[in-house]
Amino acid sequence: MNDDRLAGPILADTPLREKVLRRLRNRPTTRGAAILLGVLVLLALLAPLIAPQNPYDLAALSVMDNRLAPGEQGMAGLRFWLGSDAQGRDMLSAILYGLRTSLLVGLISTLGALVVGVTAGLVAAQFGGAIDALMMRVVDFMLGFPSILIALVLLASIGRGVDKVILAIVLVQWAQYARLMRAAALVERRKEYIEAAVNFGLPTRYIMFVHLLPNSIGSVLVVSTVSIASAITLEATLSFLGVGVPVTQPSLGLLIANGFEFLLSGEYWIAVFPGLALVALIMSLNIVGDRLRRSLNVRA
Amino acid sequence: MRQRTLFTILLGATMLSTPAMAQTLRIALASEPTAVDPHYHDLSPNNALAAHIFGSLIEQDELQKLHPSLATSWENDGQNRWTIKLRQGVKFSNGEPFGAQDVLFTFCRTQKNETKVSDSFVDVAANFAKVEAPDDSTVVIETKAPEPLMPTLLSALPILSASIVKHDKITYDVANNCGVTGPWPVVNNFNDGTAAIGTGPYKLKSYVRGSGIELERNPTYWGPAEPWATVRFVPVTNAGPRLAGLLAGDYDVIENPAARDLGRIANDKRFGHVITPSTRVIYFQLDVARDDSPFVKAPDGKNPLKDARVRKAMSLAIDRDAIIKRIMDGAAAPAYQFLPDGMSGALTNPPKLAYDPAQAKKLLAEAGYPNGFQVTLSSTNDRYINDSQITQAVAQYLTQIGIKAEVDAMTRAVYFPRRAKREFSVAMGGWSSGTGEASSFLRYWPATPNAAKTVGGSNYGGYRNEEFDKTLATALSTFDDAKRAELLQQAITIVLADGAFIPLHFESTIWAHKADLKVTGRADQYTYAMSVKPAK
Repeated sequence: MNDDRLAGPILADTPLREKVLRRLRNRPTTRGAAILLGVLVLLALLAPLIAPQNPYDLAALSVMDNRLAPGEQGMAGLRFWLGSDAQGRDMLSAILYGLRTSLLVGLISTLGALVVGVTAGLVAAQFGGAIDALMMRVVDFMLGFPSILIALVLLASIGRGVDKVILAIVLVQWAQYARLMRAAALVERRKEYIEAAVNFGLPTRYIMFVHLLPNSIGSVLVVSTVSIASAITLEATLSFLGVGVPVTQPSLGLLIANGFEFLLSGEYWIAVFPGLALVALIMSLNIVGDRLRRSLNVRA
Repeated sequence: MRQRTLFTILLGATMLSTPAMAQTLRIALASEPTAVDPHYHDLSPNNALAAHIFGSLIEQDELQKLHPSLATSWENDGQNRWTIKLRQGVKFSNGEPFGAQDVLFTFCRTQKNETKVSDSFVDVAANFAKVEAPDDSTVVIETKAPEPLMPTLLSALPILSASIVKHDKITYDVANNCGVTGPWPVVNNFNDGTAAIGTGPYKLKSYVRGSGIELERNPTYWGPAEPWATVRFVPVTNAGPRLAGLLAGDYDVIENPAARDLGRIANDKRFGHVITPSTRVIYFQLDVARDDSPFVKAPDGKNPLKDARVRKAMSLAIDRDAIIKRIMDGAAAPAYQFLPDGMSGALTNPPKLAYDPAQAKKLLAEAGYPNGFQVTLSSTNDRYINDSQITQAVAQYLTQIGIKAEVDAMTRAVYFPRRAKREFSVAMGGWSSGTGEASSFLRYWPATPNAAKTVGGSNYGGYRNEEFDKTLATALSTFDDAKRAELLQQAITIVLADGAFIPLHFESTIWAHKADLKVTGRADQYTYAMSVKPAK
């Protein structure tokens, strides 16, 4: 990136991309958050290469190494820089892998919710009438329930697993995208170019996906960046409550839940370190997402 | 500094005044009773609560020895006839006198209990051929088959008052409604207090599921009065908050603080604790019957758990001592059988179930699985002490000999019904012997299911061994204690050799309490207000 281009004043005709990047860079908090987020994503991506232990491989763990304090050495000579949990899992490795799970769940479930919600919103806006009314009532219904409640009930009945958690998050998050997309598409539909396209006799599907979708999806995409953070929080909450990921493949939320039991015994590291990692991840995502939303002037 | 001194004085004054006001006892429970109805579900927390409100004919002390209670004596004629003499002058908490009619009514109710869960308490009277009351303080029971354990079975049965239903003369005639003319009581009649009438030392004041149970002293109790005017049981499922509540003074006694946290109270003069070995054995039950077991995947498509060598290998792979040391923090004893050594019918010196991963791998290879297979271990995560941690540790050990083990730990409300439908391949179990005898485990778990004989009700793994069934049946109808113990020992040896159950350890139960109290720990793990006295 050429720094000179980003230095000048922001003018009305400055390209959008530059406007955004410049606003992101100008704030030290935002810059810090963006760097932190970058580091966390990198750590998550490289986890299998840099983690001292594969925390999901039961053969690599030993109960005899459990609940070691940070810096202690295990039986096989491995040093546990952030301590170990009740199963003898290296906390550092578990946090790296946990970050991976959190980000994976956040991204995939947001993407899934986006696809479902955007399609629903688009269909509602395009066809109106009974379809619109019905869909919006379903959306009202979904938004009326606390999301954690819906997810809890669903997971209690279908069981644990990363795929199931993703499914649950998609189910609770699609409704907000549907509502947002419908509003944006309704505004767009009144514009002349759409009327022109209709008068040309272009097929409805073509108008929907080639004209309406690209021109109204912007705001929805921006909101979705903030939603990644809430998806990650939801996953952590569900895992904390014991209905999320399997116990042998702990995510950050489950690590915190496991550690919670040991707080009174003074073994703080099992809960505190994953907690810090989760806070760092969610805070940086929120700051970056929020800044992005504000600089594009989108209302969630 | 001065403020702190003042605070200490105030605190000291409050603590000094506690014994004088010893009125309310507050107990935090790890596991909440699911109903006040004593015949609703044969579950430790329920049975413990029932003992406060409802008396039983015979009482088990903290070591599970039998003592007279509502019955003053019991006698067997060497055959199928039992004569039971009842205590006279006993009154129920509603003032009605206790007599033979109430005992007959209670027996009838176990057979006329619509709201019960998984056949609870049906087995006590299932073997009764005829029950009669020659006079108001005598009950005569004739059984279909010999029942040497009759006193123990009766000790587990809480006695109801016949005054809770409309009735004519009560007879033990189940087919003709026993003389009851009104509707039979259901679980909610007990939970709302209307049918919760008993002869126990306490009576029910209120029961609110999830928030607590309040009892008050029963003024009509026949025994010595209890020191507590009111008792409050509060369910606190998480061990951390339970202990925090004790430290903060919210509770006087708590059940099962985590063993690792005992250090926090061990050096604190304000608190004390008791650790009591229990008869509860924790084990894994293997699906040894089905070719197509839901949670096993082997390269040859078969169910490897059907092979005794594989089962033996799984047992050899587990380091029981390490689990006890690292997961249970020492508050457990290794289990090489299903009842602690030396108890009635248990082996006196069972062969040690050693930790030998090399031998385990060899056995796996011999059985045709040199590269192991896949299996999911199912367990609860809120029933037994450290249940899900234990399952994960066992999964670790199995993985180390090449069996790829996964863990599915769930809440007991989901787990128990699924296990009963045989949806698991390797399932955790926990069983404490209600009778204090080895037959308790043997008749429910490894026996071939037979509803008429009320055996095999929990044989979810499909284990079958004719020789075992024969030995157990003989033992169950043998009156001679020494002979019965010998037969039970033979039966245990057969089950252990087949390896369809892998015992891990016996739980120890811990109670922590304020220093001005004295708590007697019980081998059956029941938490009684009656076990708590002012220390003086």
